[in-house]
Amino acid sequence: MNRISEIFLKELVVEFRQKYALGGIFLFSATIVFLVYKVFNQVSGLEWSIMLWIITLFAGLNAIVKSFVQEKKETYLYYYCLFDPLELITAKLIYNILFLGLLFISILIFMSLFLGFPVKDPALFFMGSSLGLTGIAIILTFVSLIANSEQSGSTLMSVLSIPLILPIMMLLLKITAVSLRLISDTSVDQDVWMLAGIDAIMLGTVIVLFPFLWRS
Amino acid sequence: MKFKSFLYNLLLNLTWIMLLIPVTVQAQAMDFLRSTGKIYTVVVVIAIIFIGLAIYLIRLDNKLTKLENHIKNEQ
Amino acid sequence: MIQKGMWWKLSGIILFLYVLWGGMTIPLRPGITSINPSSAKTGDTIELKATGYNTHFASVRNGRAWLKLDSVHAIKALNWQSENNNEVTFRFILPQTLPNATEVFPLHLIIDNETDGAFVHPNALFLSSSTDTLSFDAIPWTKHELGQFNDHQGIQFPYRSILNETIRNTFFHVALWFAMFLLLIFGVVYSIRYLSTSDYEFDRKASAYTNIAVLYGIFGILTGSVWAKFTWNTFWTNDVKLNMTAIALLIYLAYIILRGMNYDQDKRARLAAIYNIFAFIALIPLVFVIPRMTDSLHPGNGGNPALGGEDLDHTLRMFFYPSILALFLIGKWIAELTIRFERVKDHFYLKKS
Repeated sequence: MNRISEIFLKELVVEFRQKYALGGIFLFSATIVFLVYKVFNQVSGLEWSIMLWIITLFAGLNAIVKSFVQEKKETYLYYYCLFDPLELITAKLIYNILFLGLLFISILIFMSLFLGFPVKDPALFFMGSSLGLTGIAIILTFVSLIANSEQSGSTLMSVLSIPLILPIMMLLLKITAVSLRLISDTSVDQDVWMLAGIDAIMLGTVIVLFPFLWRS
Repeated sequence: MKFKSFLYNLLLNLTWIMLLIPVTVQAQAMDFLRSTGKIYTVVVVIAIIFIGLAIYLIRLDNKLTKLENHIKNEQ
Repeated sequence: MIQKGMWWKLSGIILFLYVLWGGMTIPLRPGITSINPSSAKTGDTIELKATGYNTHFASVRNGRAWLKLDSVHAIKALNWQSENNNEVTFRFILPQTLPNATEVFPLHLIIDNETDGAFVHPNALFLSSSTDTLSFDAIPWTKHELGQFNDHQGIQFPYRSILNETIRNTFFHVALWFAMFLLLIFGVVYSIRYLSTSDYEFDRKASAYTNIAVLYGIFGILTGSVWAKFTWNTFWTNDVKLNMTAIALLIYLAYIILRGMNYDQDKRARLAAIYNIFAFIALIPLVFVIPRMTDSLHPGNGGNPALGGEDLDHTLRMFFYPSILALFLIGKWIAELTIRFERVKDHFYLKKS
């Protein structure tokens, strides 16, 4: 447990040491939101939810690509000597989930500033969002581990991760639409459970597969 | 490469033919596929599977030929 | 001279020929394609003209027909008049009263004769009351016994009104998906075995099986598109199964790209194996859970699995399961050829370097 928090803190320190890169991501999301605001002027609920998730997806993709590209091969060797793979992946997952959550909240704040906050059922919205973000973070972490240490890493990363994220995205868009009261669906609980189930399966798979990935 | 240019020409010609065929003929083709209880749809489906497998096998064949040539050159 | 290990390849071919022969030659059960008129009022005497498919109306000696409401209420046709095999006209005298208090009745047409057997056209005629004051009397509706039906002879595939002959696509389009899934399972098993043994042979096998499965998936999408054009009248709909299969194909195309990357062999093999396992697990909710939760245009959907009772009747099963096996064996054969090619190639370049 102690070691997990150590790795976690280290990630945090590394992240904050590169203030420009970190700021860049938040600036990127703010700019996109502003662009959307200038283009649409007035957005309907449907457009709001779609823009929210598209911006989150691409900002998150950028952020997590960056966090892995910045690590050198030597650093990995160093980790390999120091930590158990399980500890490392747990720390990384927690870090990425929290980071993606933070990114999402900041995008949400920008969106509310410029475009309003049309959510009618906040409990459902945040429940669905947090589950969905967890799933997206797990997939992005996993794929970035596969795609790293390669020049074309970021292209490969989007090619590999976007199809995997799509089902989560579809469930998320549906849950968001329900929470915005765009559609009424009595079986939305089922979707939330589905999302939780996908998260659990993905998490289990990543934890089982990570040691094999780690050997390199 | 001969094969590739052949395929390319074929594709080009087919596109031209498709463009030149008047709409009525295309509609007739659709009606033909719908005739006798849509049985020709099934024929098209089987044809797609067969052609697809054939294309895969042709590609595999080409790759094998290349490898054979490599091996021959080595010896 | 038949080589060793040839038997399953030959049986794949023979099974496929069996499916082609059976799937294309066995006739459809007779059915009704259209009815005229489609609505009537109580007390009318109507001439109901039915157009059939695969029927033998003209040669019938003992043809009967009923308009049926439910298991108790039915009225019998007065005559059977047909000029040719596919057209028949019945005269019905509809009772003055409705049997119970509903405003519009959907009536099912049952036709029975000794050549075609008995068959039903559901919701053939909509019956409404001719007067404003509704009167109910069930007695005129219960006079006619349905009696004993004739059985049709020989093996026939079921008739579905929009599907018609395309029900035979079950053996090709639907079986493709099942064969694809079997091949994917083989691929993922070899990926797991690669991770546990680090033997490149398993990597080659996993890659070849997944490749051929993706090929089958592309066939599945294409054949499905053609089928949809002639039944749903569009090449692509927003149907959940279509979306999910498109996503699944994207996931596996990404696998092929990853496998084609210029890493060193060990790294490429390991990354591909890991991604393959992950993709397969991500596929499970995609293919098995989400489509079950949502309505779909596909036959047998709306909550039910695709293989439920009536949708796949035993005549279809006789060719559906062999077809899955045949397509799987052919896929395995092609995968095997690819594996052998890759093996020779790897050995050759290993010797050279």
